[in-house]
Amino acid sequence: MPRVLFHKQGEVFSGEVAEQTNLVVRAGIRQFPYPHLTYGCGMGKCGKCACRVLAGAEHLPAPNWKETERLAGKIEDGYRLVCQLWVSHDIELAQDAPVAATAMKGA
Amino acid sequence: MPELMDPLAFRTALETAIKGKSANTSPFSIAWAQGKLSRAHLARWAENHYHYVGPFASYLGYVYGRLPEEFTEAKDFLLSNMYEEEIGGDRHTDLLIRFAESCGTTAERVKNPDNMSATTRGLQSWCYSIAMREDPIVAIAGLVVGLESQVPSIYRRQTPTLREKYGFTDQEVEFFDIHIVSDEIHGERGYQIVLAHAKTVEMQQRCLKICEIGAEMRLLYTTALYRDYVESDLPMRELDLAA
Repeated sequence: MPRVLFHKQGEVFSGEVAEQTNLVVRAGIRQFPYPHLTYGCGMGKCGKCACRVLAGAEHLPAPNWKETERLAGKIEDGYRLVCQLWVSHDIELAQDAPVAATAMKGA
Repeated sequence: MPELMDPLAFRTALETAIKGKSANTSPFSIAWAQGKLSRAHLARWAENHYHYVGPFASYLGYVYGRLPEEFTEAKDFLLSNMYEEEIGGDRHTDLLIRFAESCGTTAERVKNPDNMSATTRGLQSWCYSIAMREDPIVAIAGLVVGLESQVPSIYRRQTPTLREKYGFTDQEVEFFDIHIVSDEIHGERGYQIVLAHAKTVEMQQRCLKICEIGAEMRLLYTTALYRDYVESDLPMRELDLAA
């Protein structure tokens, strides 16, 4: 089972999830990383679920068109939209404080 | 005589009630998955589907209004479900229209209720009927568990086909992508509410029955799409029904 390490505002939360898990779906049904993961539309538009991938990025597919459009220059810094990812391997993510997250393009 | 089930057994029973009548087994869904539909067929699907899913927030709005005040969590769930359908990001029906246009029809045709079949009208009416008349928890079982929770498995099967076999772009099929995420959340939360509130044998049996009927209604709707729009171009013998 993939292990997820989730950094937010100086704290680290961890949990195990089933293979092919979407973490926004998990948060939406009130399971880890709920209540720590901030998310919004779940459709790759609002950017609220954006996280920096600290480890495990090599197991993820390339950013899709929504991530490319939404995250613009942030992809090079390791940002991904968590609502667009299905996790099958261990991963370590960091989510910025809400103010920083909303500073992204178009937010 | 049925007995009161614990949450695990009740959930399994709900899943079984839906599975037997899954819309994945309809000839329309099979033809879709096999890449055998034309864009014109998919346009007719979109013109019908709009009238089934378009009012989903309205169906839930009736249930919301009839849920007792103390069912706070269930009410909040319905509210966020309605919000996500309509204004949480792009309006879901706008994405459906985008797909419809890429199939060669127009927004005007999609929105015109004269372009839905009698069976689609029946499905829409059934949704309104249970939203207005059933016990609200039973209505959630029918609308959210019985209907909405099926969507991720249907679209997970159909979306890659739309790209790979039909040649649609990512933007054109966004309607299907968003439902894989949002309907997984909605379906699962629906299960949680039904499991938490159907606490008597009678309520559990009513929820099971409505799930079965809901799945049956969706299967009926999807099968009618095949009969009404596809069969004359693509007879059953040309479908690999074992797929």
